[in-house]
Amino acid sequence: MLNREPGARTLPTFITLLVMGLLLMTFDVRSEGGGVTGTLRTGAQTIVAPLQKAAAFVVSPVVDMIDSLSNVATLREQNIALQRELAEAEAALIAVDDDLARLEFYEQLYDLETSGTDIGRTVAQVIGRPDASKALIIDKGTSNGIAVGQPVIDTSGYVVGTVQRVTAGTAIIVPITVGPDAVAVIVGEQAGVVVPQVATNEMRLEIFDAREPVFELDRVVTSSASVRFPAGYPVGEVTADAAPSVGALSTGVRPFVNVDALRVVVVLAWPPDPVTAASEPESEETSTTSTIGSGSTTTSTTVGGG
Amino acid sequence: MFIPDLVMLVVIVVSLTRIKPEAVLSIAFLSGLMVDLLGSSVLGLRAIVFTVVAYLAYRTRDRADIGRIITGLWTGLLTLGGVLLLIIVGTLFGQTVLLGEGVLGRLLFVPMTNLVLALIFTPLLVRIIDRDATAFRYT
Repeated sequence: MLNREPGARTLPTFITLLVMGLLLMTFDVRSEGGGVTGTLRTGAQTIVAPLQKAAAFVVSPVVDMIDSLSNVATLREQNIALQRELAEAEAALIAVDDDLARLEFYEQLYDLETSGTDIGRTVAQVIGRPDASKALIIDKGTSNGIAVGQPVIDTSGYVVGTVQRVTAGTAIIVPITVGPDAVAVIVGEQAGVVVPQVATNEMRLEIFDAREPVFELDRVVTSSASVRFPAGYPVGEVTADAAPSVGALSTGVRPFVNVDALRVVVVLAWPPDPVTAASEPESEETSTTSTIGSGSTTTSTTVGGG
Repeated sequence: MFIPDLVMLVVIVVSLTRIKPEAVLSIAFLSGLMVDLLGSSVLGLRAIVFTVVAYLAYRTRDRADIGRIITGLWTGLLTLGGVLLLIIVGTLFGQTVLLGEGVLGRLLFVPMTNLVLALIFTPLLVRIIDRDATAFRYT
């Protein structure tokens, strides 16, 4: 049998550690993840990053194999469908090659130069999911040109989230479904924002200057008004029809990306100049004034840099 | 779906060894702090939760060595308490994402997975840590 006698210093130690933990939490919340706690996190992540990469290198093939075995029937069907898609894509690629050759010819003919607005892309592997917050750890960091605030998409081009913290060899990605900021988007020709919600992956679409209804399965894409994402990247689709009410509209948005299934992501070097990005305000406030009856109401929303 | 909380499991198992309780609490606190540092949630959240779990485990550990199944159930219950505490304290400190879509699944599957792992590995781990081949023979 085990010894049942509690140590004389057990309770004081327990209380001391609890108080220390509470102080740490309060300090971290107050400093909003910056300051000493931010430095501590960066240091710890830098030290542990090689281990995480090694673990991911060993574990990922095993996980893939187990996944493959459990989904073998589905994979056969997917394989056939993918072969068909590949054939179509190859045909399309040949057509694109023809177009590119023609474009190059015209560029030479008219002495044109490219505008240089191509966005740099860094492909990164997901090597960890640190906690229940759905954040992702990727195997690329500042040494690969990753900077805090850069947008992240998946390999299909769907919006995933933004870089929250970065070390030399790793970075932490926070999905848009977790927030905390809203993302400026466009649905059809109407501009609005999508905001994350508690206890669900579904986001909320808010259009404060709605002129026409939105319908289920309408695509929601990032807007050029966004300071966090380049324009035109798909975010999700509308989950239910909604009509404007007193100039505003609100409905659900189902994100295209399933964060839990992500293995590879793409970090966009956007805005092209990270110094500009760092100096931009964290959030911007937009306000819409609408008239109700004899009075008027002002609706304000924080578009967190989004 | 069946993702264990391995750090919490190790903390619980360590509380069954002959390591001094103060050391067990410190190990729990530091382990939690390390997980917090590597994650994106508020610093100290898991440190507190793991310390509480370690303390509860230490105070109730005499009930765990009755039989292998009891050890597993005890570990599962402690893990359930830990996950609940994590959600409650996290929510109080603004970590609303802990109440995300999979909260019920986490409350169910994390303790169950820890229970199964404890059934299999606890006696072996205790014997290794204590260097005592007779520990946890359930005789």
